[in-house]
Amino acid sequence: MGVASVPDRLLHTTTSLCRTCKEAVPAEVVAQAGGVWMRKTCPQHGAQEVRLSTDAGWYERTRAERQHRVPPRVIKKEVDHGCPFDCGPCTSHTQKVRLPVVTITSACNLDCPICYVHNKNDDAFHMPVEDFQLILDHLRTDHGGELDIINLTGGEPTMHPRLFDMLAMANAAGIHRVTVCSNGIRLAKDEAYVERLAQLGARIALSFDTFDPHADKLLQGANMLATKLRCMELCEKHGVDVTLIPVMTRGVNEHEVGKILEFALQHESVRHVEVHTMTFTGQSGVTFQRSGRISMLEVLEEIDRRTSGLLTPSDFVSSPCAHPLCYQIAYLLVDPSGPPIPFTRFMPAGELRDALSDRLYLEPTARLEASLAAAIDRLWLDSDDNPEAARTLRLLRGLLETMFPSDRPLSRQAAMRAGERAIKAVYVHSHMDEETFDTERAVDCCDSNCYADGSTVPVCNYNVLYRETEARFTVKPAQWGSRSGGQRTFNLPVLR
Amino acid sequence: MSEAKSKGSASQANRRLDGKRCLITGGSRGLGLAIAKACASQGAKIAFTFNSNRDDAAAAKASLVELGCEPLVFQGSVADAAHVKETVAELTKAWGGIDVLVNNAGTTQILPIALLEEADWDTVMDVNVKGAYLYSRAVLRSMIRARGGHILNIGSFASERVIEAPVHYAAAKSALRGLTEALAREVGRYNIKVNLLSPGLLDVGLAQMLPKHRITEYLSQVSLGRLGTAREVAEIAAFLVSDDNSFMAAAKIVADGGL
Repeated sequence: MGVASVPDRLLHTTTSLCRTCKEAVPAEVVAQAGGVWMRKTCPQHGAQEVRLSTDAGWYERTRAERQHRVPPRVIKKEVDHGCPFDCGPCTSHTQKVRLPVVTITSACNLDCPICYVHNKNDDAFHMPVEDFQLILDHLRTDHGGELDIINLTGGEPTMHPRLFDMLAMANAAGIHRVTVCSNGIRLAKDEAYVERLAQLGARIALSFDTFDPHADKLLQGANMLATKLRCMELCEKHGVDVTLIPVMTRGVNEHEVGKILEFALQHESVRHVEVHTMTFTGQSGVTFQRSGRISMLEVLEEIDRRTSGLLTPSDFVSSPCAHPLCYQIAYLLVDPSGPPIPFTRFMPAGELRDALSDRLYLEPTARLEASLAAAIDRLWLDSDDNPEAARTLRLLRGLLETMFPSDRPLSRQAAMRAGERAIKAVYVHSHMDEETFDTERAVDCCDSNCYADGSTVPVCNYNVLYRETEARFTVKPAQWGSRSGGQRTFNLPVLR
Repeated sequence: MSEAKSKGSASQANRRLDGKRCLITGGSRGLGLAIAKACASQGAKIAFTFNSNRDDAAAAKASLVELGCEPLVFQGSVADAAHVKETVAELTKAWGGIDVLVNNAGTTQILPIALLEEADWDTVMDVNVKGAYLYSRAVLRSMIRARGGHILNIGSFASERVIEAPVHYAAAKSALRGLTEALAREVGRYNIKVNLLSPGLLDVGLAQMLPKHRITEYLSQVSLGRLGTAREVAEIAAFLVSDDNSFMAAAKIVADGGL
């Protein structure tokens, strides 16, 4: 609740959703007492308010950052009802899919209290491999034949009986990184399974929320730590790359973010840590205690505090490929004999952001190469008198030697993979739920759930609205009509 | 051209290197192996050196055996004078002499000048330049006695064009130009032909690992619009070290598709 004595300042208007009926409602985003609040009123369910940020200055600066918009090549829907009810993408969507997400199964072997999707184990859905191939074909068309990444999710993707076939198909399509979301149960139990994942070059996006048994029970509904650690042990042993995905929840595990980052730095197999802020949607998340809500900036500040300044908020840049309030990204050079060095300590943040203009994840592009060349020259000028500059130069040289060894050429793919092993990335990703939903962010989304007919739905829209309407994921599919009171006949323009 | 076809041609008309005793440094992979195979296909006896990777060397030997050749293989660094002396002595003992030397062994590092240390400079100069000097000097006595022979140095487009290239590598390949010209002048009186062949980016070696944008930028400057193949360059090399090349000496041949 805002402080009544301080006058509000309107930052922008937008379209949001009613937290109860998910009807689209106009919303105001206002600064009050330093924080940022979204306010809206549902004709049926009344006034609603949610805090979006603790710092209006940070929110405004971040929201104003320039984006690199590349619209989808293929438009599937004309605007009829208005965002977010015309997904496909529609003509108002500004970003092509940079992170394709494919939901390959509805089956899951956990029932997490923070789960933001809907799963169905009886008569479970497993995507046919033919449909998966169609999705790959559509994505390649939309990307001019080349894809940086694809993410297979569920449910629990390791419950799909033909996951390995799908991974092989994604490899054959030339996708640079193929990631598989997992809770780690199957991997921890089955070493041969991990070996096969290694052979297929899959990267595991492992949910990893806590080291604390009490928090574990609150977030995952079970004590999963031993399973996660065993999974990590096997991934390390067999060279399976890992992205750790902790969901940050205020009062439960946010104080562990430093420990999780330290764990990531200690494990060679970890390429990224992708911190998600808790979202209150889906089969379980919608009923999770609201005191757990935490904003993007609070996570960045918590990282700063818990890592003793190893990573500060200024070491992060927003992704130009998405709405700037959705992703904050930091890259670090790994030093086996010292603390890692954030890229922003030797490269202007603007240059790091520019290097991320064309892709959600860093790749050896011309922009990055030019920025690194300039950084090396600057460091060289200082290196005689500045031990930190000398250390950074040594690490950058190591990076080059890893990617371009003089004793034998690596393939381009192997060089990129080798380079990724010399750095680590921290992504903070703030998903939306029905309370925080902002169509301004939705139209700029680059993460989309993909269908065999070529249609795509931004993941927040999908999690909040679309997934629960699909019979393959829920026993009783929701009907938009039940929330809107009947067939929509009016347009809902995106308000800016 | 398929291996089978090239094998067939070797047994018939195109055996311009029949019986020639060829030593190729750095012959276990990439362009060196392609040159070894091209020479073997044209009837040459083959010996090659390699520095470190025994698996590559074994695979290279097997591929030459498939072409009907019985290659002699020597492990060592071309910058190691003792290795060079021993290799040439053994070859001379086995073959009675050496007709062709291809100085192909080379190394590079992708380093900007800011990161290029003295040790890097020395390594690249040692392998690319000193190695060519040591091997050339070692085989020359046999060639002078025979009043003939071919020495082919493998250069690079990095020393022929103004392009982004590691400074020490470009300098080393430029040094090979000087070595080629001066040595050709000095031993031409013995009918020994010393030449330099400088390929552009090929489908083997460095181009495999360069970022895609680098390749795209490079190809935009290449008249033929594509990378060369190791086989194409190897065929040129095989001609240059054959008796069909009776008048090219101190030549600097660039095979880069028109960069």
